[in-house]
Amino acid sequence: MRTKQEYLIRYKDGNLYCELADIWIDPSKPVKKALITHAHFDHFTFGCEEYISTKETAILLKERVGDNIKIKTFEYGEEFKINGINISFHPSGHILGSSQIRFVFAEEKWLVSGDFKLQKDETCKQYELVKTDYLISECTFGLPIYKWDEPNKIANDISKWITNSPEKTSLLFCYSLGKAQRLLNEISQTNFKGNIYSHGSIHKMNNSYRELGIDIKDTIKIENKKKIDELKGSLILLPPSLSKGSYLKNFKNIQTAFASGWMSIRALRKRSGYDKGFAISDHADWDGILEVIKKSEAKNVFFHHGDSEALSKYLDEKESINVLLFGK
Amino acid sequence: MSLKKFSELFEDLDSINSTNNKIEVLKRYFLSNEPIDNSWAIYLLTGKSNKRFISGRYLKNLFSQIYEYPQWLIDTCYLKVGDSAEVITLLLKNKTTLRNKKLSNISLNELLSKTIPELSKLSEEEKNLQIKNIWERLPEDYHLIFNKILTGTFRVGVSIGLITKSIAKLINIDEEVISHRLMGNFKPSINSYEFLINKNINLQELNSKPFPFLLANTIEDKIFKHSINDFQFEWKYDGIRMQLIKRSGNVSLWTRGQELVNESFPELVEKMSYIKDNFVLDGELLVWDFKEQVAFDFSLLQKRINRKSPTRSIQIKYPIIFIAYDLLEINGRDIREIKLENRRIELEKYFSKWQNKTENNISDIFKICDLIFPKDWTDALTYKEKSRENNTEGLIIKKKNSIYSSGRKKGIWWKYKVDPMQLDAVLIYARGGSGRRAGLYTDYSFALWKDQELIKFASAYSGLTNIEIKELDKWIRKNTIEKFGPVRSLKPEMVFEISFEKIQISKRHKSGIAVRFPRITKWRKDKKINDADSLENAYELMKKIS
Repeated sequence: MRTKQEYLIRYKDGNLYCELADIWIDPSKPVKKALITHAHFDHFTFGCEEYISTKETAILLKERVGDNIKIKTFEYGEEFKINGINISFHPSGHILGSSQIRFVFAEEKWLVSGDFKLQKDETCKQYELVKTDYLISECTFGLPIYKWDEPNKIANDISKWITNSPEKTSLLFCYSLGKAQRLLNEISQTNFKGNIYSHGSIHKMNNSYRELGIDIKDTIKIENKKKIDELKGSLILLPPSLSKGSYLKNFKNIQTAFASGWMSIRALRKRSGYDKGFAISDHADWDGILEVIKKSEAKNVFFHHGDSEALSKYLDEKESINVLLFGK
Repeated sequence: MSLKKFSELFEDLDSINSTNNKIEVLKRYFLSNEPIDNSWAIYLLTGKSNKRFISGRYLKNLFSQIYEYPQWLIDTCYLKVGDSAEVITLLLKNKTTLRNKKLSNISLNELLSKTIPELSKLSEEEKNLQIKNIWERLPEDYHLIFNKILTGTFRVGVSIGLITKSIAKLINIDEEVISHRLMGNFKPSINSYEFLINKNINLQELNSKPFPFLLANTIEDKIFKHSINDFQFEWKYDGIRMQLIKRSGNVSLWTRGQELVNESFPELVEKMSYIKDNFVLDGELLVWDFKEQVAFDFSLLQKRINRKSPTRSIQIKYPIIFIAYDLLEINGRDIREIKLENRRIELEKYFSKWQNKTENNISDIFKICDLIFPKDWTDALTYKEKSRENNTEGLIIKKKNSIYSSGRKKGIWWKYKVDPMQLDAVLIYARGGSGRRAGLYTDYSFALWKDQELIKFASAYSGLTNIEIKELDKWIRKNTIEKFGPVRSLKPEMVFEISFEKIQISKRHKSGIAVRFPRITKWRKDKKINDADSLENAYELMKKIS
């Protein structure tokens, strides 16, 4: 067995690092060269000399942080070489532009899953199964209590939630990139035909999605001076950061909800302070993670993101899959 | 289809915060369902059913067996979810393979009056098989309700008051009447529901039921502006609040928790049945020190509470007394609308009449509460400070011209409790919470110094704000020394002010002391662990009081 230092990809200063190529994956601090799996802010940091991502991720990033970054792009499946290592992006189904990253060096295949999901999502490319020897997987929802309902069921629940309270303004909190667009896509296929408003940050992302060829329902950008009556019975999408503080005072007679995988647990729902929770996630659930691990045919699995203790033990006991630990 | 409707009702009540909306939802439910199902719904929602058919542990083991799931994995999940019924519900998702959900049209009545009770008649093996069958045949949406009823943990965010209001609104009748009708035992049936929503008020029908209890509020400053003569002062005893009812010659003892406890206190029931009059008394049951004429500690009362048909020697060892505060009904006449000062006159009149009949011989088990007469509010304060000497918790202050309404009505009764005792202690263990606090470390153990060692002296979980809980949870995760199952031992660093009501010697605890109602009153970030109190300080506190 090799020592931790000899792995092609390992942990360094809390980040995934490939020494041979001197390249980092979603680093949390400025480095020379960074591969970016997707455009969520917890996978991106300012100040790197060069970024490499898919075309979609690059456009979304620039929309969010400005043109002032040097970023090189590749198509899904297109291979490029750094120091003799073949690298390629593959759809991970998480959000538009999100990818798994494959590394091939001297017959050895490595795959960094990035954030991924297997569920249907018409706003991004479907997860692509990639076989590998070494798999570095996320593990955000690594317990069997997390099992997602079909997104159209959740969308119908949301639609019912709004239409059952026609006197109210329904505020649905969700991440502005990815989740919001997926919800819009699903909700537009339900019976809810009322007005949908969205916060500026979400509105901006909707436009970017449209420019990238994704059909997103038109929403009205929410203005602070909207008359209360006009909002009655309509849906407003807002980022979770606005759920606390004075922003909500702009509205009267509201009901609030949060769309997140964590909302499948009643205790978390109650504690969240929202009236209602809709359990919809852009991460894989327990069955999803297991399926990917098995189908990838990886002999060695590492986890990062999330509590992987239980999943590791389960894989070891039930599936005889060896889970390796990165020294952090 | 009614289990479906009840399941939706549960979801709605769980996610609606506004009281008015909850009432609307309940009204709509009652209007659109069969009386029998309504009756069961009320039974469940008011918490009148907490019978546990099987334990949470049993449910988890059973699931583990049937679906070949490792027990440790279920336990890990439980730490996140905090409720056995819910964990199993979540794990059951997509597990049941049967397509034909034969039980999708089961009514609430059938589930509760037949399907579930019949489980108790089966052998363990048959029972396990039957639960599996139900899981397979019940649509997934109903699993949570089924599992919760099985484990006796059916709780939802509605109070009995809310149910009372909804029914009152439904039939446009005074809430007090509904509240009275809901007192005591409630056997779900068409009749019990129709009785509840009957628009004609018939006192006779309420015969077996206690009146809704009137409760005291915490003292408010504005009361001190009023003349002291407007109020009646009583000691606040630490016993079991109770209504002692004698109607049609039958005596019944009802606790504030609406339990009939005749069987635990047969000597009281017997003595009271000798009295000729019929009556309803509001009062307190205590274990009494007849020599010193003070109450014994609550811990002695606990020896009597859960013991049915106590032997003669238990009755002698833990002698009880009923102290009457108030007379609510006399010989069929409801006098709750009469002013308190006049009710007191009636109470004293009847008490002396009963006492003077020597054949009654009730003085060794029944008395009326002594009143206190403070000269002014400063004097009242002095009485309050002295209340620990006679083993009471402080004073109850009642407005003399008030009527006996129900619930925690404002501006009628107040409790004026002795200031709690306090010690500064060091946090040494934390345990994961359950229910709403699942996934967070919210149950804490605190220690005091003994020489150079920290000795655990109390556990507490209430008193911190949600923000503090989250902050402390983070700290706990970073400062764990060791994990033992759900418990973590922690780096001694954080000091908290712990308040409690009582302190006494206890052989069961390593510290040698036990405290009652410990709770966190302040996070003393300003203190280092060396500033925390010692066991010595605790012993001194104990001496000062006794």
